[in-house]
Amino acid sequence: MNETIDQGHLRTPPGRLFRKYLYSIVALAFAALAINTGFDVWFSYREQKQLLASTQREQAASAAIQIGQFIGQIENQIRWLSRLPPELSTNEDERLNAIRLLRLSPAIAEIAELDAQGREQVRVSRRVADRIGSKIDLSASPAFRGANESRTYYGPVYFFGDTEPFMTIAARGVGRGPNVIVAEVNLRFIWDLVAGIRVGNTGKAYVVDRMGLLIAHPDLWPALRRSDLSRHADVRAALDGVGPPSGGLVKEDLSGQRVLSTYATVPSLGWVVFVELPLTEAYAPIYASIGRSTFLLVVLLACAVLVSLFLSRRMTVPIQILTQGARRIGSGDLGLRLAIKTGDELEALGDQFNRMAAHLRESYATLERKVIERTSELEKARDHALAEHDAAERARNIAVQANETKSRFLAVVSHELRTPLNGVMGVLQLLDDGSLGEAQRRHLATAAASSETLIALVDAILEYARLEASAETLETRDFRLGQLIEAAADLMRPQAFDKGLTFDVASDATVNTSVHGDPVRLNRILLNLIGNAIKFTPRGGIGLKAVAEQNDDHVLLRITIRDTGIGIPPDMHERIFEDFVQADDSIARRFGGTGLGLAIARRLARLMHGELTVESTPGAGSTFTLQVPLGRAASGIAQGTVLPPSRRLSVLLVDDDPVNCEVGEAILNRLGHRPTIARNGASAIEFARDQVFDVILMDLHMPDMDGVEAASQIGKLGLPRMPRIIAVTADVSGSARERLAGSGIAKVVSKPILINALREAIEDDPWDAPAAPQLAADGLIDRHFLDDQRELLGPAQIEKLRHLLGETSARLIDDVAKAAAASDHAQLARSAHQLGSAASALGLVRLFDRCRDVELAAPAMSSPEYQNAARELAELQQASMRALDDLLQPAEQGSVS
Amino acid sequence: MIETPTSRLGGLIVGLRQRGWVEGVNFRLELRSTFGPSDKLKAAIQELLELKPDVILTGSTIETAAVLAATKTIPIVFATANDPVGNGFVESLAHPGGNVTGFTSSTAEMGGKWLQLVREAVPDVTRVGVLFNPATTPRAGRFFLDSIEQEAATSGVSVAPAPVGAPTEIDEAVSRFSEPPKAAMIALVDSFLVVNRQAIVAAAAKYRVPTIYPFHYFMDAGGLMSYGPTLEVRSADYVDLILRGTKAGDLPVQSPRKYELLINRTVARTLGLTIPFTLLARADEIRE
Repeated sequence: MNETIDQGHLRTPPGRLFRKYLYSIVALAFAALAINTGFDVWFSYREQKQLLASTQREQAASAAIQIGQFIGQIENQIRWLSRLPPELSTNEDERLNAIRLLRLSPAIAEIAELDAQGREQVRVSRRVADRIGSKIDLSASPAFRGANESRTYYGPVYFFGDTEPFMTIAARGVGRGPNVIVAEVNLRFIWDLVAGIRVGNTGKAYVVDRMGLLIAHPDLWPALRRSDLSRHADVRAALDGVGPPSGGLVKEDLSGQRVLSTYATVPSLGWVVFVELPLTEAYAPIYASIGRSTFLLVVLLACAVLVSLFLSRRMTVPIQILTQGARRIGSGDLGLRLAIKTGDELEALGDQFNRMAAHLRESYATLERKVIERTSELEKARDHALAEHDAAERARNIAVQANETKSRFLAVVSHELRTPLNGVMGVLQLLDDGSLGEAQRRHLATAAASSETLIALVDAILEYARLEASAETLETRDFRLGQLIEAAADLMRPQAFDKGLTFDVASDATVNTSVHGDPVRLNRILLNLIGNAIKFTPRGGIGLKAVAEQNDDHVLLRITIRDTGIGIPPDMHERIFEDFVQADDSIARRFGGTGLGLAIARRLARLMHGELTVESTPGAGSTFTLQVPLGRAASGIAQGTVLPPSRRLSVLLVDDDPVNCEVGEAILNRLGHRPTIARNGASAIEFARDQVFDVILMDLHMPDMDGVEAASQIGKLGLPRMPRIIAVTADVSGSARERLAGSGIAKVVSKPILINALREAIEDDPWDAPAAPQLAADGLIDRHFLDDQRELLGPAQIEKLRHLLGETSARLIDDVAKAAAASDHAQLARSAHQLGSAASALGLVRLFDRCRDVELAAPAMSSPEYQNAARELAELQQASMRALDDLLQPAEQGSVS
Repeated sequence: MIETPTSRLGGLIVGLRQRGWVEGVNFRLELRSTFGPSDKLKAAIQELLELKPDVILTGSTIETAAVLAATKTIPIVFATANDPVGNGFVESLAHPGGNVTGFTSSTAEMGGKWLQLVREAVPDVTRVGVLFNPATTPRAGRFFLDSIEQEAATSGVSVAPAPVGAPTEIDEAVSRFSEPPKAAMIALVDSFLVVNRQAIVAAAAKYRVPTIYPFHYFMDAGGLMSYGPTLEVRSADYVDLILRGTKAGDLPVQSPRKYELLINRTVARTLGLTIPFTLLARADEIRE
C-alpha cells in the first residue's frame, strides 16, 4: 500500500508534458503565422492603397484628358472655321459653314464670326434667328479681346437661364485681318462625359472650374445647384496648382460619404477633375484581402493546432510509455517490454530501457539463483549442525545418564549400607538404658562412635550423590546460631586438644541470635571445615571467628576458620573444592579422607546461597571463610535435648524391616507418643481405615507397595481426619519429592531415624490447632528458652525469678485492670509493656505476645475492649504462672536422676 | 394631353428603373388621362390627389396649372411647360420655390427662329399666319408673337395671328392663308394644337399652306417641317430626387439642350417648294 501511495506522490500529472509541447508548438506556429500575416496584410494594405491611389490618379488624368479633348475638339473646329480664307466664301457660305459646325458639335449653341475690327458678320444660333451682316461692334467683348491676345480664348463659365452652364470659346484666324470666331458652348454636354467616366462601381468624377464652381457632376442635384466648392481645402489646393497627395486623400464627399479622392487639372482650361471612390469600395479588396488572410490564418492555426496535437502526441506518448515502464519496473514488473516505434532517439531510449530491464531481470534471476544456492548450503550446514547438536545431546544424555547411574549407584549402595548401620546405631542407642557399667558404657560409646563415623562416611557419599543429582533440598527451621557454632566447636575441641593444638573460638555477640535456615547442613559445613583444619594442622592451633551481620531482611553469617597447617599451593586453591581432590595425593595417603568434604561444603554453601572461599600459603596455614545469608527466626526457639511432646500423638509406623520397626517404635515411645506398627503398605491402609492416627511414618521402600502408593491410597480413603504422612527414606531425589507431594506426603525424615529429627517432624504440625486448655498447660511457655535460662542461671536463680514474676505480674495485672476500668489507654499500654517484659524473662511467650498486642492496640481500643483485654491478660497470667510452676517442679525432681 | 405615351411614359419607367425604382415593387404608378372635356381634367386631378401621391408628374402647362391650383404641398414635376415663370408656376428657373419644378420646352425667342426657317423654305412669302389657341398658349400667344413680329419687321413680312378656340375653327383659320399673297404658317407651342395636329396638318395640306410646327408629332401626322427642342425624357431624374427627399422647389427648372429640325421633302414637293442648302445642312432629319 505504501509503495502505491509513494508512487502516487511521485507520479507526474498526466498530460503536463503533452500540454507543454502543445502550447509551445501552437504558440510558435501562431506567432509565426500571425507575424507573417500581419506583415503581409500591412504591406498588402499599403501597396493596395498606393495602387488604388495611382489608379485613381490615372482615372483623374484620363478624365481630365477626355474633358480637355472635348473642349479641344470644339476649339479645333472653331479654329478650323476661323482659318477659312475670307475670300473663299461669302457671308452666306460663312453661315453654311457655321451651320455645318453646329451639326457637327451639338454642344455649340451659337457661333458668331467677327471681322478683324470686332464687327459681327454672321451669327448662327440654334435658339434665335440667324443674323447676317449686322456689323454690330463687339470689339470690346472679352471674347474678341481674349482671342486677339492669345490663340484661344476660354471664357468663364456662365449660366444661361439661370440653369444652363455655358462657356465662351473664341479663336482668331491667321493672316492679315483675321476673323475671330466666337462660340457659345453648352457645358451641359460635359455632364454626359463626366457621367460616363467610370470610377470603380460607385465612384464619381466631377469637374470644377477655375473659380471652384462645380460644372459637372454625375449626380444631377449638385451640378444643378451651381455649387461653389472653392471653400473646400482640396479644391482650393487643386486650384492653387498643388498636386494631389500620392496616396490619395481621404475625405467626406458632398453627400457625407467617406471617399478616397484625387484630382487632375484639365490642361489649358485650368479646370480640375476630381475622382472620388467611396472607401467602402476602395478598401473592399484590402478588407477582402485582410479577411482572406485572417481566414487563412485561422485555417493555418487550426492546422497548426492539429499538427501540434499530432507532434505533441508523438513526442509525449513514448515518454509516457517510458514513464509507465519505469514505474512498472520500479514496482518490480521486469517482464515489461516497451513498444516505442518512432524511429528516433526515443525509440533508441526505449530499446535501452528494454535492455536495462532485461539486464535487471537477468541480475534478479542470478541473484535468486545465488540466494537459492546459499539457502541450500545454509540448510545443509544447519542440518549438519543439528546432527552434530543431536550427537552432542546424545553424548550429553549418555554422560548425564552415566552420572545419574553413578549417583543412583552411590545412593543405592549408601542406602543398602545404611540399613544395617541403622540397625546397629539403633541398637547401640537402646543399649544405653542407664544400667550399664563404666567399661560397657565406654565400649558402647566406641561402637557408637565407629558407627557414627561409618554413617558419616556413608552420609557424605550419599549427600554428595544427592548434590550431584541436584536432589538435595534445604530443610529449614528456626535455630539458635550461637548454640550451633558452640556445639560444633565443643564437638571438635577434644580432637584438637588430642593433637596438642589450641582451639580458639571467638564468636561475636551478634552471633547469639535465632535465625532461620538449615542448621544440619550448616553444622556439617562447620564440622567439615574444623575437621579439615585439625586434620591438616600438625602443630600450632586453630582459630574460629564468627560474625553475624544484621541486615534488613536477613542475617549474613561470616565464619572464618584459620589454621597453622601445611597450607595449600595457590594452583590448588580452587581444585580442592572439586570432587575427590586433595592438595596432594601424598596428603591423601598421609591424612586419609574421601576428598569429598570441601566439595560437599562448597556445594552446600552455594545451596544456601552462600560462598566458601580459601586463602592459603603453603607451610603457613590456611584460612577458610564461609559466608551464608540466613533468614530471621520467627521466634526465639532453641534446640535442646529430648523433651516430652507438647501433645501425645497416635503414630502409625510403616516399615518392612523389623529392625527399623523396633527402633522406630522405641524412639516414638521415648518421645512420649503411642506407636502402632504396620509391616507393609496394605496393612498400613487397613490401620489407617480402622483407627485414627495423628501421624503416619511411611517407609518408601517396601516390597509389596511402596510408601508413595500407600500414602496415595490412604489419601483416597476419605478419612474424616486425615493423618499427616511423613516419609522415612534414605533416597530423597527431586523426582521422589514430586511424587511425595502428589501423594499428600508433606514431610520427609531421612534414615537413620534420629530422635530429634523425628520429634521435630512429628510435632511440626501446621494443621494441628491445639485446644485452649492444652495451650494453657503446654503452649504457654517456651520451654527451650526456659531450659536455656535454667541452664544459664541455675535452678535457684530461676526459682527466685519465678517468685518475683508471680508478684510483679499480679501487681501489673491489677494495674492493667485499673487502667482498663479508667479507660486510660496510655497506662494500659505501659502496664502491658511492663507485664510483657517481665513475662519474656522466663519464656512466658503467650503472655508476652498478648501483652505486646494489647500494648500496640491500646490507643485504638474501646472501653469494652479494654475490659476484655484486661480480663484476658489476667487469665493468661494465671494460666502461664501455673504452667511455669508445673514445668519447674518436675524438672527439679527429674534433675535428680 | 395626347402624346406618344410609349416614348415619354416608357422613358420615365425605364429611367426610374435605372435609378432603382421598380413599379409594383417599391413605387406605384397611377395614370390618369385628362383627354376630353375640361371637367374630366378636374375629376382626374381630384382622383390623384385623393390617392395622396408622393409626386405628381404633369404632361403640359394646362395640367400643371390645374394641379398646382389643387395642391400646394404635393410635389409636382412638369414634363414640359412653356414659360413657367410667366405662368406663375415658379419664382425663377434657378430657384423655383414652392412645390413644383420641371422642364421648359421652348424659349420666347423661338418665334423668330420659326419665322426665319419658314422664310428660308418659302423665300417668297409675304405674310405669315400664327396659329394658336389663346386658351392653351402661354400668355394667349403673346409669349412667342413678340419675337415673331420683331423678326417679321426686319424681314418685311406681315404677321397675321390666327387664334382658334375649337377644332372646328381650324379649317377656316387655315383656309385664310391659301389665297395670295403668298403666306406661310407658324404653329405655336400649344397643347390644343398638338391634340388636333391631324386636323391642322390636313388643313395645311388641303389649303397648300407651308407650315412650321414646334414638335415632331406634327411631322408624324404629315407636316412640312418642325423645329423645336428635343424632348429628352429627363423627368425620371427629378422624380427620383423628389422620392429621395429633395424639395421640388430647390430643383432648378431645366431648359432644353438640343433642338431638332425635321423636313418632309415629299410634302415640300407637293407644295412646290425647293428646300435650300442652308436648310438641308441644318436639318436633323429629312423625310421623303
